[in-house]
Amino acid sequence: MFEHSCESNDGKGRIGFMVLGPLFGLLYVILLPIIGVMTVLLALPEIASAKKSPAPNTSGMCVTCHTSKGVVKTFSNREKMSVAVNLAELRGSVHASLGCNDCHQKISMSSHPGRTFDSRRAFAIDAAAACGACHSDEQLRSKPNHAFSVNRQNAPPCTDCHGAHGVQRVADMKKAGNGNSYCLTCHQLNITKVHRNGERLSLHIDPALLGSSVHAQRSCSDCHAAYSRDSHPVVNYESSRDHSIKVSGVCRTCHADKQHAVNESIHFRLMREGNQKAPVCTDCHGFHAVGPKAAYETLNGTPCKKCHAEIFSMYSTSVHGAAKINGGEHKAPLCSSCHFAHDVQAASMAERMKKACLGCHQDAEAAHTKWLPNAGLHLSAVTCASCHSPKANKGIELRLADESTGEPFTEAQLRTILGSDYENLAGMLGAHGEGIGPDQLWGLVARLNQKGTNAKVTFLGTMDVVDGRDAHLLSAKKNAVRECENCHAATSGFFRSVTVAVVKADGRLSRYKAKPEVLGSMFSFAALKHFYVLGSTRLKLLDWFGLAMVLGGISVPVLHMTARFLTSPIREARRLNRLRKEGRR
Amino acid sequence: MKAIHTIYLHPLPVRIWHWVNAASFLVLIATGLQIRYRESLNLMTFRDAVDVHNFFGFVLIGNFFLWLVYYLASGKIRIYLPPLNLKKFVTGCIRQARYYGYGIFLGEENPHHSTPDNKFNPMQQAAYLGIMLMLMPLQLVSGLLLWDVKGFAGLISVAGGVKIVDTVHVLIFLFFSSFLFVHIYLATLGHTATAHIRAMFSGYEEIEEHGR
Repeated sequence: MFEHSCESNDGKGRIGFMVLGPLFGLLYVILLPIIGVMTVLLALPEIASAKKSPAPNTSGMCVTCHTSKGVVKTFSNREKMSVAVNLAELRGSVHASLGCNDCHQKISMSSHPGRTFDSRRAFAIDAAAACGACHSDEQLRSKPNHAFSVNRQNAPPCTDCHGAHGVQRVADMKKAGNGNSYCLTCHQLNITKVHRNGERLSLHIDPALLGSSVHAQRSCSDCHAAYSRDSHPVVNYESSRDHSIKVSGVCRTCHADKQHAVNESIHFRLMREGNQKAPVCTDCHGFHAVGPKAAYETLNGTPCKKCHAEIFSMYSTSVHGAAKINGGEHKAPLCSSCHFAHDVQAASMAERMKKACLGCHQDAEAAHTKWLPNAGLHLSAVTCASCHSPKANKGIELRLADESTGEPFTEAQLRTILGSDYENLAGMLGAHGEGIGPDQLWGLVARLNQKGTNAKVTFLGTMDVVDGRDAHLLSAKKNAVRECENCHAATSGFFRSVTVAVVKADGRLSRYKAKPEVLGSMFSFAALKHFYVLGSTRLKLLDWFGLAMVLGGISVPVLHMTARFLTSPIREARRLNRLRKEGRR
Repeated sequence: MKAIHTIYLHPLPVRIWHWVNAASFLVLIATGLQIRYRESLNLMTFRDAVDVHNFFGFVLIGNFFLWLVYYLASGKIRIYLPPLNLKKFVTGCIRQARYYGYGIFLGEENPHHSTPDNKFNPMQQAAYLGIMLMLMPLQLVSGLLLWDVKGFAGLISVAGGVKIVDTVHVLIFLFFSSFLFVHIYLATLGHTATAHIRAMFSGYEEIEEHGR
């Protein structure tokens, strides 16, 4: 059985071997080269890469030197840069599988170091050009915040944001950062944006400054609401100024109360009139380094000097500025102490300025009353600076006002009454620098008070410094003007400068020069019936009239005595005649 | 032959009032000039001039009320009142004017003879009535308003404005200054140059009786 079996098995096996053996042999012969070719083909990339680079591991030729921290490259501008590569960082990067020459294509053993660069920046730009070999323009264009950099000269190199050897997958970058650090991934770098007008805006944010600002706990998206992990629109602005104005509008989201105050300010009014130089929130507070309130209340921190440098310089020499500089006197006022921080008013609103002075100098009226007759009157008709800025030129400002309320009569009200005549009037008032004459002043008030205008207008006068900037030259109390004669004499220089002022819609004044003689002319008597300074603005006509009256008074006795003297012979004759008659009796 | 007799014409309150008035007027005129013409006059500082002016202004106000109360209380105010009969008043004025403008040169007798009850001639009555009941109150009130322009701002506004108040004050001041020369001169036209003036000190006026 067994043998049979064997025999029979032997017989079948023999047949199978004879049939299948050549078949398998043939297949083996055919497939073997194919398998060999395929094996070679599959191994080729590895072989290729093995040939191309020393591989991102410590065994490569490049890392022989470039793992040493002491390897430094010096650029033409003498900048130095470490060319050491952090291998751990490289291995963890998305480019771990690339060889050094994949990116540093122009560097080879035959030309190394070989290339020179003007600067570290030039090197970075040159090196980053290699990114384009794998990352096409189309890929960049698909991301709005990258699209702008395509074909743009001076576009920041890729490495600015993505890093060099530690480049991460974008998805990993996003995961790595949270909150502000996510945005700072790019924005702590020296990146810029170009406005339509060609101005370049730095988009760099100093994380240290941001961290020390009062907004440190805020997220970027609190202010930049349109921007988030998932949204990064590219907004184009006309200019850096346009950008500032539009971006600072976001402040009102949290600071609505301040915005209300700002809406009343001269700055806001100027902005509304289209004056783009008028400051917005960020001009004073900055963008990202917004400091605490106290930071703005220091000499160095006050933002006003950025625009009002000359005035700030004058202030610095004043009694207030000196106290602040030399003594560090905490109470010494800065700009905002008098002009207020947000509802900054036109400085010409003298009454408000006075309130600011009296806000600190609360005993001022009582102190003046001790030595100054009619102290209340003086304090209302003479601005503080007129006496306390002794070096400033003073003058008289005649302001159109409603006679019954004393409120300023505005330019708009003038336009309403005068209509098209206003332009003629304005032209006439400002014409040729000669100034407004007494008759013109009279004519203006008469015209405004005509029947049907429903206006009762007069001029109210105050003494003020001629140049508002001089109001910042406040001096120590001992230097203030005290002698009455400074003002109460017709020869006082303070009455040689006279201006007619009309309040404009924004609170500032339209000023027109007036002739000094308006103060003492009969023609302007009715227009200036509410303004009189003892001795200084007296009516000249009254002087002549008075002289005539006194001469008339003297002439009565003189003429009468003369007549009596001349007629004394008559009286003597009559007396003798009378005596003769009496004698006869 | 002329006979001289005396009458008690000026009671003590009147004499006190008159001389206080006179002294105040002189001081007020001097200080008023100093205030108004500081650049030309240098009698005193502006501040002193204002202080003295204010002080004597109040003296004048008090003095005015002394006069008013005395004359009202004593009933002697009627010496200031011209006769209600207009014809008599006009005739009296013309007669008095004729005397000063003509008769005095011929040595004629003054048509008016002062008595305690009829102290002033019709021209004096008209002048002093206007002065004491119109100009003096107006001057005192305008001075008071100018003394505290801010405190009396409402009244000054009603009056038309500080410049108007000041102008009224100055006009009356000019009138008084001018009238002073006439007043003093007329005071020398007694029977002697000093008769009226001495009477204003003693109270007794010497009356000259013309003989027949």
